[in-house]
Amino acid sequence: MIAAALDTKSRLAAILFSIVAAVVLGGLVVGLTGANPISVYLEIAKGAVLGRGLDETLARSVPLVGMALAAAIALRAGLVNLGGDGQMLIGGLAAALVALYLPVPGVARAVLALAAAICAGGLYAWLAAILQLSLGIPFLIASLLFSYIARGLTSYLVRYPLRDPSTGMPETYRVASGARLPAHILDLPVSMAMVIMAVVAVVIVVNDRSGVNGFEWRMTGLNARFAQYSGVDLSRQTQRVAFLSGALAGLVGALLILGQQYRFTDGALLAPGYTWSGLMAAVLAMASPIATIVTSVFFAALQVGGFSMERALGLPAVLTWVLQALIILCLAARPIFFRKR
Amino acid sequence: MTLLQMKGITKRFDGVVANDGISLSVNSGEIHALMGENGAGKSTLMNILYGLLKPDAGEILVDGKAMDFASPLGAIAAGIGMVHQTFRQFPDLTVWENLVFQNEPRQGPFVSADAARDFVRRLGSRHGLEIDPDSRVRDLAVGIRQRLEILKALSREARILILDEPTAVLTPQERDGLFAAMRELASKGMALILVTHKIPEVIAITDQITVMRDGRVSGTLVTRETNEAEIIRAMVGRNVPPTVASKVTSDARPMLSVKDLSVRKGAVTVVDNVSFDVRPGEIVGIAGVSGNGQPQLISAVMGLESATGVVSLDGHDVSSFSIARRRAAGVSYVPEDRHLTGTAPAASIAENIVFGTHRNAVASNKGFLRKDAIRAQARKLIERFRVKAASEQLPIGSLSGGNMQKVVIAREVEHGSPLIIVEEPTRGVDVGAIEFIHQTLIAERDKGRAILVVSSDLTELLALSDRILVMFEGRINASLTGSDMNEDTVGRWMMGGAETR
Ligand SMILES: Nc1ncnc2c1ncn2[C@@H]1O[C@H](COP(=O)(O)OP(=O)(O)OP(=O)(O)O)[C@@H](O)[C@H]1O
Ligand SMILES: [Mg+2]
Repeated sequence: MIAAALDTKSRLAAILFSIVAAVVLGGLVVGLTGANPISVYLEIAKGAVLGRGLDETLARSVPLVGMALAAAIALRAGLVNLGGDGQMLIGGLAAALVALYLPVPGVARAVLALAAAICAGGLYAWLAAILQLSLGIPFLIASLLFSYIARGLTSYLVRYPLRDPSTGMPETYRVASGARLPAHILDLPVSMAMVIMAVVAVVIVVNDRSGVNGFEWRMTGLNARFAQYSGVDLSRQTQRVAFLSGALAGLVGALLILGQQYRFTDGALLAPGYTWSGLMAAVLAMASPIATIVTSVFFAALQVGGFSMERALGLPAVLTWVLQALIILCLAARPIFFRKR
Repeated sequence: MTLLQMKGITKRFDGVVANDGISLSVNSGEIHALMGENGAGKSTLMNILYGLLKPDAGEILVDGKAMDFASPLGAIAAGIGMVHQTFRQFPDLTVWENLVFQNEPRQGPFVSADAARDFVRRLGSRHGLEIDPDSRVRDLAVGIRQRLEILKALSREARILILDEPTAVLTPQERDGLFAAMRELASKGMALILVTHKIPEVIAITDQITVMRDGRVSGTLVTRETNEAEIIRAMVGRNVPPTVASKVTSDARPMLSVKDLSVRKGAVTVVDNVSFDVRPGEIVGIAGVSGNGQPQLISAVMGLESATGVVSLDGHDVSSFSIARRRAAGVSYVPEDRHLTGTAPAASIAENIVFGTHRNAVASNKGFLRKDAIRAQARKLIERFRVKAASEQLPIGSLSGGNMQKVVIAREVEHGSPLIIVEEPTRGVDVGAIEFIHQTLIAERDKGRAILVVSSDLTELLALSDRILVMFEGRINASLTGSDMNEDTVGRWMMGGAETR
């Protein structure tokens, strides 16, 4: 009990410290531009939770939590998945194709589209894992390079064979309304995408805390040699974790297409930078799933608040990205401040 | 002349007082033994001296000047060198790269490899610790890796040298070489602190002895005026009888049978056509100077290393099995390196104990861990094996070396496998615990388990084994039983054995 508690406590302290330090540093940056840091932070906070802000924060949390967890489950098992972009694109494309062209009734189409996205994203990441296992190309590199392939491929497809000529944009046709994910369930401010992501998050947290698989993944991340010695089949596990990480990224792509954008537009999935925000959240949380969820919701709020601050004060919303990066830098620099010996 | 003084050193870790007002003073030219049971606080004290840990209270004086080390760099600058219990080396780099790291001879902006090689050779011959500057550290035998560690300290002009259980990994010959080198260094006016559990060594080469128990000094003895019994009493507060194994011979069907096993590393055959059996109810010991293929042989038997030949368990060929399947088929294994292979140091003691059997019904149910049961089991083993740990939830890496070893042994013995393979069962373990581990292994043998022990400690092998196989240059060149099992005969076979014929 003691150690677990201490462990989480010191981790929490580290995260909080990084956030506070980053806020102070960010305030200095804002101050240099001549604006008042206090009112900037106040606008960000207000914008993130007041009025429509809360809805927006929740909506943005769905893809961000998804991508952050995708990064975290891999990281926990000692794999660095930098290919979230590619897996999300492939998943989104698979979802769009099924939702547009599969001749089955609406709801079934939505369900099959989600399943297709999960498989496609998972397989795409699995391929990168196979490259590591068979040719020794590190997963970190292979997954990242696969993102560029996915970007080129999807870009070509929506510009030529799959294009909706009526819009003048490089995008597919719109998904029929029957195959979309409802934005409100029973008139509540809760979308289908939120429900799905919440379920996924719970499964991941439970598996990490008490699941036999989660235990094996975590121990592998801590010492792969010990895991192998203790009977874990490392090759199989790497494939499995890569698949699941990619599947989650693919699912995020599908949730965005079927629940928000309703068509696959070139560049639209990647523009908000969910993959990289998610990676940062996972790193900040040191790959603990619960902490990852908290930090990624925090990042979502920060970003939404940033947009609202931009509207209110005319300062660029990129500031929130600077803040995010500063938080991670402070976390990395923490040993310099806290020398616990 | 007093070179080093530590006064009232106190250090607490959450819940544990590892050092409680320790004082220690060492003269120049003196070899000073620091003894004590596992978890007594020896490593903690030495880590404080070396600037790795910050004491909560107390002061360190070198040459009468008060020191405050912010990091090992401060300690090194003050002339303190340390040879760690666990080596701090870059295994993928060569000897000279390791040795001159952060102290590189330069030629313009570049590291001068020739000057570095030369430096290594000169340093080695000056202290009688020769070493090939171009070998890759990962390929070196433990004894040589330790030599590198000592040279590293000497290369920084150390005047006070700490050796944390240096002989645990050495053969008798290597040990004698080390002692000669230590005496040589002492005669040049250095102060040496030797942390060890081995009483004969202390009596053989030290001048002063400080004994610790539960974080306090429980005895300060002058080696010339004391004896083994007095030292043990100071260490454990009671008398410990020496272990005597009853030798039984067994002619049951072999539990482990190895046939024509060979391991090749590039052009070198490190294990050469080895065949032997281990039967239920016997302990077979493998002796050998380090670097003669013992770890590779065990890796091959466990399926961690690719090999040719046949390995059978209880009559079934398992040569094509992964380590997981071999273990499932009934092998427990205590690996030599507990940090690298035997544990995940950052995970808790309980997690380290259950890992490997976590899919059994006791530890999990329908894919979910039964955490209470896992913790209860861990507490039970901690108590039974007298592991000094405040809680089963602490990271196993926070335990002292010997206690960590006890946890690994406890876990493997508890699996109940018919075959137990143990590498270095008592490396870094105190006398009380050695006795306990030996008795555990003997009890397991008497229950009918087949046990294979690899150890670089000949005394241990002689005490435990019913039969000793000697490895030399990758081959088993002798199988000794009965009256042939004595230090002399085994030692001669370890050196090759040819001239004894
Ligand atoms: N970083 C740490 N965190 C918590 N407890 C620690 C830490 N380091 C050491 N301890 C505890 O302090 C005590 C003393 O440990 P230390 O390693 O100094 O023992 P030791 O005398 O070197 O034993 P051994 O002979 O087994 O190496 C032990 O109970 C150990 O569990
Ligand atoms: Mg120690």
